[in-house]
Amino acid sequence: MSGINDVLVTGTEGAASDYPIDNWGLLVALLLVALAAVISAVLKLGVERRLLWATVRSLVQLLAMGLIISYVIQVNQWWLVFALLGVMIIAAVQITLTRGSGLPKGLVLPVFLTLLASAVLMFSVVVELIIRPQPWYAPQVVVTMVGMLLGNVVSAIAVAITRLFDDMRTRRYEIETMLAWGATPLEAAMPSITSAVRLGLIPTIAQLASSGIVLIPGMMAGQIIAGGDPVQAARYQFVVLAVISSLTALADTLIVMLVYRVAFTENHRLRTDL
Amino acid sequence: MERNVRPAVRVGEPRPVLEVTDARCHVRHGDARKDIFTGLSLTLYAGQIVDLVGPSGSGKSTLMECMAQLNADADATMTLDGRSTDGFTPEQWRTQVAYVPQRPVLMGGSVAEAIRYPFTLRVRRDSSVRVPDDDTLRRALDDIGLDDVELDRSPQDLSVGQQARVCLLRTLLTGPKVLLADEVDAGLDPDNAMRAAHLLKRAADEGMAVCRVRHREPDGMATRTLELADGVLTDITGRTAAGAARTAGAANDTDTANDTDTTDTEAQA
Repeated sequence: MSGINDVLVTGTEGAASDYPIDNWGLLVALLLVALAAVISAVLKLGVERRLLWATVRSLVQLLAMGLIISYVIQVNQWWLVFALLGVMIIAAVQITLTRGSGLPKGLVLPVFLTLLASAVLMFSVVVELIIRPQPWYAPQVVVTMVGMLLGNVVSAIAVAITRLFDDMRTRRYEIETMLAWGATPLEAAMPSITSAVRLGLIPTIAQLASSGIVLIPGMMAGQIIAGGDPVQAARYQFVVLAVISSLTALADTLIVMLVYRVAFTENHRLRTDL
Repeated sequence: MERNVRPAVRVGEPRPVLEVTDARCHVRHGDARKDIFTGLSLTLYAGQIVDLVGPSGSGKSTLMECMAQLNADADATMTLDGRSTDGFTPEQWRTQVAYVPQRPVLMGGSVAEAIRYPFTLRVRRDSSVRVPDDDTLRRALDDIGLDDVELDRSPQDLSVGQQARVCLLRTLLTGPKVLLADEVDAGLDPDNAMRAAHLLKRAADEGMAVCRVRHREPDGMATRTLELADGVLTDITGRTAAGAARTAGAANDTDTANDTDTTDTEAQA
């Protein structure tokens, strides 16, 4: 078992990195963030406290995740891998709902189902169909792949559901008019649904198009730094980006279709408290 | 004036189309529950225009939305041609009891597209209602003083008054049994308000049951006039607007429901 000190000093035992990051490295990174916070204070941007807090959170969370993954790798049991994925999905539900703004109640279950569905698809397609690790539940592949997917999906569906309900509020009179013609809730919500799915997808498409030119995605960069073959790293990265994009599109559509009905009552009327 | 008995349907009497009993609406403000109205009853007859008047905020629009099953806070026991609401999906009901909201909303790139939009909905996909062709649209627009509005014009270019008439026309063309027009003549000059009134009158003459929320002076089109004030619905047919307001205020101390079915005899004669 590697303790916290090992992680802080050298990274996990047997880590593939040829260039480990020592504590000085972490400190330099923190100092740069502190500089950004000073700029924020001088310019009165008012984000310095949030910036510092987010930085500390990210450091602690990443190190914790590193520790947890190294523990799961050591124990090497399939059920532990899936227990970790379960915890990650539940945390992702909470993050999605706090990131969205102006959301009605009753979204926990649909968000959970959407994240679960995309994680299951990610696992079956990327891990078992494309990478085919040995053993089939190899934590270093499964946890990282699903983690990258969840990160993307969380951002996309938070944007999508926020936009959906914003747009339906803006279109309130239009929706009421359409219902008065005999439109179903789906027909009345459709313009908002398409606009929400589209908006949720824009960052994903932009990421796909710009990768390789101005952006070497984190995963590819990591593999190259760790001494991997750059072309192999590019193939890996492409598979991951392409599959994540399509699964994000799927999750985007799924969540919006699952939640638009929240704006309507059981007897197909628009909620007044939307 | 108010006899709480149902009229026996006699030969030559108007045919009831929409019968509403126990219409009620409550809104919640935090923990407090406020009744806008409870226990209202009214009947709309084929071929009649009924005006619904009353102070702002008395719930006239809400009552109309309630009849069209559109308001989430309001409900009522209703029958359409003797069939209860249970026999309809909400969508089917709304194609027959059609509400035209006060605020005009026109969607689509052209006036023609905007008018035909309701015909694209699933509920009308296998219906007998014909999608109006360009000639029908042209004639219908000319009829209500919109002869200068081209079919391919963008609806956003129309004035609010023009939009209101196009919205009214759009719903009339779908051929509902009951039309609930919520202050559709509010933004119109007297000439055009009269045109809108004639349009509704013609629809009523063809057998539609029409109900209008109005704030304007009476235009002589209404068979009956109902006033909604302080949660009570009163038939004020034949009284002047000013007198009606006074009488209604004096007569409606109680919160009980009152049935207005029976009070239209003079207007019928």
